Amino acid sequence: MASDEVPQLNKLPANNLAMSSYTAVIRRKFARKINVHDRFARTFDGSVFWPLSQLLTGHSRNLRGLLANALAVTCIGVACGRTPAPGGTGNATSTNVAAPARGGELLVSIRTEPQSFSRFAHADATTDLVNYLTQARLVRINRNTFEVEPWLAESWTRSADGSSYTVKLRPNVTFSDGHPFTSADVEFSLALAYDVKGGGPIIGEGLEVGGKPIKAVAPDPLTVVITFPAVYAPGMRIFDDLPIVPKHKLEAALKAGTFTEAWSLSASLTDIAGLGPFVISSYQPGQRLVFARNERYFRRDASGIQLPYLDRIILDIVPDQSAQMLRLEAGQSDMLADEVRQEDYSRLKRAADAGRVQLFDLGVSLAPDSFWFNLKAGAFAKDPRSGWIQRDELRRAISLAVDRKAYLDTVSLGAGVPVFGLVTPASRKWYSPEVPQTPHDPARARQLLASIGLTDRNGDGLLEDARGTPARFSISTQKGRTAFERGAVVIRDELKKIGVTVDVVLLEGNALVGRLASGQGYDAALFQLGVTDPEPATQLALWLSSGPFHVWNSGAKTPTPWEKQIDDLMARQISTLDEAERQRLFVEVQKIFAEHLPILNFAAPTIFAATSSRVANLTPSVVRPQFLWAADTIAIKR
Amino acid sequence: MFWYVIRRLVFAAFLVFAVSSASLIVARLAPGDYAVGAMGLNATPEAMRELRARLGLDRPIAEQYVDWLSRAVRFDFGRSLANGRPVIELIAESAANTAILAATALFLATLIGLPLGVFSGSKPRGVVPAAVRTASLFLLSMPPLLTSLFLVFFAARTGWFPIAGMSSIGGGFLDLLQHMVVPVGALTLPLIAMFERLQSQATSEVIDQPFVIATLARGVPRTRVLWRDALKAALRPIASVYGLVVGTLLSGSFAVEVITAWPGLGRLMLDALRARDVYLVAGCAAAASVFLAAGTLFSDLALVLVDPRASE
Repeated sequence: MASDEVPQLNKLPANNLAMSSYTAVIRRKFARKINVHDRFARTFDGSVFWPLSQLLTGHSRNLRGLLANALAVTCIGVACGRTPAPGGTGNATSTNVAAPARGGELLVSIRTEPQSFSRFAHADATTDLVNYLTQARLVRINRNTFEVEPWLAESWTRSADGSSYTVKLRPNVTFSDGHPFTSADVEFSLALAYDVKGGGPIIGEGLEVGGKPIKAVAPDPLTVVITFPAVYAPGMRIFDDLPIVPKHKLEAALKAGTFTEAWSLSASLTDIAGLGPFVISSYQPGQRLVFARNERYFRRDASGIQLPYLDRIILDIVPDQSAQMLRLEAGQSDMLADEVRQEDYSRLKRAADAGRVQLFDLGVSLAPDSFWFNLKAGAFAKDPRSGWIQRDELRRAISLAVDRKAYLDTVSLGAGVPVFGLVTPASRKWYSPEVPQTPHDPARARQLLASIGLTDRNGDGLLEDARGTPARFSISTQKGRTAFERGAVVIRDELKKIGVTVDVVLLEGNALVGRLASGQGYDAALFQLGVTDPEPATQLALWLSSGPFHVWNSGAKTPTPWEKQIDDLMARQISTLDEAERQRLFVEVQKIFAEHLPILNFAAPTIFAATSSRVANLTPSVVRPQFLWAADTIAIKR
Repeated sequence: MFWYVIRRLVFAAFLVFAVSSASLIVARLAPGDYAVGAMGLNATPEAMRELRARLGLDRPIAEQYVDWLSRAVRFDFGRSLANGRPVIELIAESAANTAILAATALFLATLIGLPLGVFSGSKPRGVVPAAVRTASLFLLSMPPLLTSLFLVFFAARTGWFPIAGMSSIGGGFLDLLQHMVVPVGALTLPLIAMFERLQSQATSEVIDQPFVIATLARGVPRTRVLWRDALKAALRPIASVYGLVVGTLLSGSFAVEVITAWPGLGRLMLDALRARDVYLVAGCAAAASVFLAAGTLFSDLALVLVDPRASE
């Protein structure tokens, strides 16, 4: 008996009232017993995911069922490839309700505390999330369509030469403390981004064009003239990364050199004001952050209701991802701030089928797992492997040798698509089928390795070079990231088949990043390059040989000819305003990349996200934070 | 006795100094510093240098250590690199939360484990003592990580207790108690088993001692002999580990606190280690070693009280 049937016991005819109270007590007691029994029944008879619990409860039948299900899912996955429509958003339909109502609170599990309340001071994921909730920008990249939308900027016009923009700001907008928002705040925020005492290293670099800052002047309170140092094709898109902060609150701290402390975690919450949909109302270190509705938020929905719909958002800090999942399933939270792990898919699917959660297939990730060799000049100068370890042929051979389907099935449990370059089908605008795709061909891989002198010289099945040095290298990857660990093992096993020995080195996060950033202490790496915007112009740090994110050869002093070619193409790509030409140039870049393979990509996983069944009006995105990027329109079902 | 306590205090001070110094140096020398994690792969070398200079991470390790030590003796452990909050403030908050768990777990473990040990130790045969022994062995073999996972899973499936966190918004004392069930359970169950096993063995040895037999022969009731005379004599093993248990519990449990999202010292230390937040690591290590030293001292004193020969 369902618990919601119990109140019906009160619907008794009036003439039975004398008996009704006694009967009702008895029946309620009985109902309670049934209810408790039913709870146990659902608890232990239902399909239980955790095998250990099944062993403990003796429900091995469920375990067998689980294994059978897992096998079936794997088989279906393997047979069908489970390939969501390229570039599509899978089943990422938003759960719109006819007329969302105001009210309600949303419980979100996050893994770490913010390091600050200011995005100018820290760039960690939770600080970024706080920024999404409390601040606003001139424009917003819609994380669902990846198109630019006017936000605080109501409209803009581009100058004839394409280097400056006249921006009209939305009128009658006020900060959460009631202070009016004007062009002076935009001017201040942009200057703050470049100030070494402000956002200098955190935000400023991403807002530079050709290494130079963008300038803003404010001719009147609702107009800003923004001048780029050169023509920049994506134009206003760059300002999605610039929170507009209140000058009246932060100017004094900046002048006093105490900006980083101004909105630190020790700051008084009343000192923090913003233009975002929520304000921070309480912070309990180690436990939670509570955000209340910003009653002065500037947006209204189509029917004129002031946003946000929610009264409160509560970010509960739950470091363990398994505990986060259990909270969601048990109805103790409404969503995880980020995507769910591939290995959690099957249990969430069951919970979704039972109506307890909503599961979203958001389509293929923008960021595939990336494998690259250390191509820094001189990195292997004194190494006996220097003759072949940085050669294009080795990377091409690896690309041929690794079965991308096996990689996908093992690493992403079949959910995803094989990829052959950094740009995945999720990037609808920039993905091109013209970019060459490497077939799985171990025989051709062996031939390529032989062409650089790597053959089996002693008949042990493993390859050696002319000096007898074994064809052996290590892959460094992050410890604890199961997808990377599995990926490195697949590469190791696939390369063993062609006689190349691979050692997998698992490193703690900071240690790995330290090595990759310095270009020292590693042979090859498997990592994910966090692409959050498909626009190539926002990825210059990766594509340009001088870019800090040019991971295979960071800070290259002597770029190779093909790297120079990419530099030239990208310089043209970001400075032409002809979109068709931009696309053509970027396809050229991808083709050069595919020819030299400085980074090898094998698969892009499908991104899944989940919420409780009471959350509505979601606009999920393939990039983080999957739901909360549009927190102002999330509602609770009534 | 006085000199004994002084000796132990000097040892405790040395322990705190050595552990916190070593943790600062090791965290500082470990590959990948805080700046690398904070800035990521996307940072230019100039930006990285700037951040290191701002945080003082570009100074030689000896200089950094001497500076930290000179402040630490005045109980100023610096500020967290990650969030800028004073280390002492962060530790005080987390240690208080850990203390709530530790005190409750210890209280319950003593209340349940000790009598169970006396009971099972005094009855070598019987179904119930055998069941107690088996349960204890099972719980002892379960690491806290597994126990907490099991309890979290149980809480999730039944919906009887909150799975994670320390409190609900606006929750009172009852709410705190509900949130404590899972983490306290994870800490208490193995402790009960340990106390039961220790006390059981000690009791079974003591009840064969001539003084117990003589007391029984004088007609003193068995229950009184067992719970008064034999118990006091059998407390030595428990007394010798009790302080260590106190110290270990107060130092925080990484596994339990992370899985149950309890904002305690163990979780703070783990987060600090992951972020290479060197001053916070050193502060947490100092706090943990203070608790451990205090626990050891407490244990030694308890042992002296139970058995005065220990002070010799």
